[in-house]
Amino acid sequence: MANCRPRSATPNNMKISRHKVAGVFLLDRQLATKGEALYGERTFDGYRLWNPRRSKLAALLMKQAQVPLAPEQIVLYLGAASGTTVSHLADIVSLVYAVEFAPRVARDLVRLSERVKNIVPLISDAAQPDYGPVVELVDLLYQDVAQPRQAEIAVKNAELFLKPRGHACIMIKARSIDVTAKPKTVYKREVKKLEELFDIESVHELEPFYKAHAAVIARLA
Amino acid sequence: MAHVKTWFGDIELHNDEIVRSQVLKADIDAMAQRLQREDFADFDKECRGRLREIAIKLQVVSSELEYVSVLRAVMIQSAKERIVTAFAQPDARIIQLIDGIDDIDESINLLSERLSEWCLLTSETSMPEDLLEAFVSSPSAQSPLAQEFAGSISRLCELRQEIANAIELEMRTTAPNLSTLAGELLGARLIARAGGLGSLARMPASRIQVMGASKALFKHIKYGTKPPKHGVIFQHPLVRGSHPNIRGKIARILAAKIAIAARLDFYSKRAYPELLSQLEKRVGELQTAERNPQQHEDITP
Repeated sequence: MANCRPRSATPNNMKISRHKVAGVFLLDRQLATKGEALYGERTFDGYRLWNPRRSKLAALLMKQAQVPLAPEQIVLYLGAASGTTVSHLADIVSLVYAVEFAPRVARDLVRLSERVKNIVPLISDAAQPDYGPVVELVDLLYQDVAQPRQAEIAVKNAELFLKPRGHACIMIKARSIDVTAKPKTVYKREVKKLEELFDIESVHELEPFYKAHAAVIARLA
Repeated sequence: MAHVKTWFGDIELHNDEIVRSQVLKADIDAMAQRLQREDFADFDKECRGRLREIAIKLQVVSSELEYVSVLRAVMIQSAKERIVTAFAQPDARIIQLIDGIDDIDESINLLSERLSEWCLLTSETSMPEDLLEAFVSSPSAQSPLAQEFAGSISRLCELRQEIANAIELEMRTTAPNLSTLAGELLGARLIARAGGLGSLARMPASRIQVMGASKALFKHIKYGTKPPKHGVIFQHPLVRGSHPNIRGKIARILAAKIAIAARLDFYSKRAYPELLSQLEKRVGELQTAERNPQQHEDITP
């Protein structure tokens, strides 16, 4: 990634402000967290830029949503992939249990967790959680698995691992659930499934950063 | 009394008090191995909320900070082992090999095109029919660079053959029924597309039939165009070699047999040669009917 070579000097006219979520910053209008560059992203003065087109959580934060993130939280993250989002999340919260099943991307995730002290990698299928002996109760369940049965997977994991009244942040990719239906119909159907276990707090579409994606913020009923 | 199996050991709880415990202390390798080896039942949320506290009480770790660092070390170790096992599966090897063949095919095509362009520069006379053959067999006529270029292509062809042989070997042991029915290379391609023998075995035959024709399939679902008759299984000689009128039927029958073969291979490894003869018999009937379309009709005098 030659064009993403870290630069360290803050340009003189750059304004640094706080996002309403603690631990998240805005450099002019670009999202960032504090830390060293981990996957080739640009950095300014110890701030790592966070691209809302590469991370759905960043897109959600750009949408001014009330995202239930706090510094002392323990998070169970389903669908960690190579850990781009996980690496920023680890700058914000105290501990991330990152679950990923595909061995190829999991290799990057393991490499990342060797460098970052508050990421625990779990190579498992979130649909058949076998990390029961490992994961403690968590404050937030974050899910980005892009699978047709994702609502069931979220419910199952919340039943096992989420604290009473804990939060869930669930990314729905309409195209992975039903390509033929309209995205809005898909969101409604998925929200309905989640209502079995959760109180739904809000639903945000992630346009223009992601097409046909929505984030559901919910709380264990 | 609750029996709780955690990553750091076994604990028995009675009225929230620890009555018995057997824990591994700071032995990261042993903890990681135990996680791979043993079965773990789920335990209730209350114990889950107390994992850190219990670990500290049993002196597995001395602080919450150490709890996280030891757990992280154990899980990194265990993750690495899992990744190694995942890549050591025979179907993972087959997928790599078949993807390698596809990459080589693409390269050979690309390089051959370049060679024929190049040939126009160096030889103004007629272009030989089999360019590569001509370059390799009579090298003196061409420039040494072009010669070298042609040599590389023919070495790629040799490499392709070697990989194909390796696939045949792997497929014969990993998926004997699928190999018999579909042929080693097509079988390997199906496994690669499905993402593994296990996922192929779990697929319905209808999906196997159109695997590799997803564009046409989704066009059909979305706009109501004609559904595709076959995906990669078109490469099978029985499909490709048959009259277009019956290719759809044959593709359907073949896909059904492939589904059975994949399941046999994944779940039992038992050879079942009848599958192929059944397929050939059925296809033979269809082909005869196609050649003599009047056969079933002229009954009335």
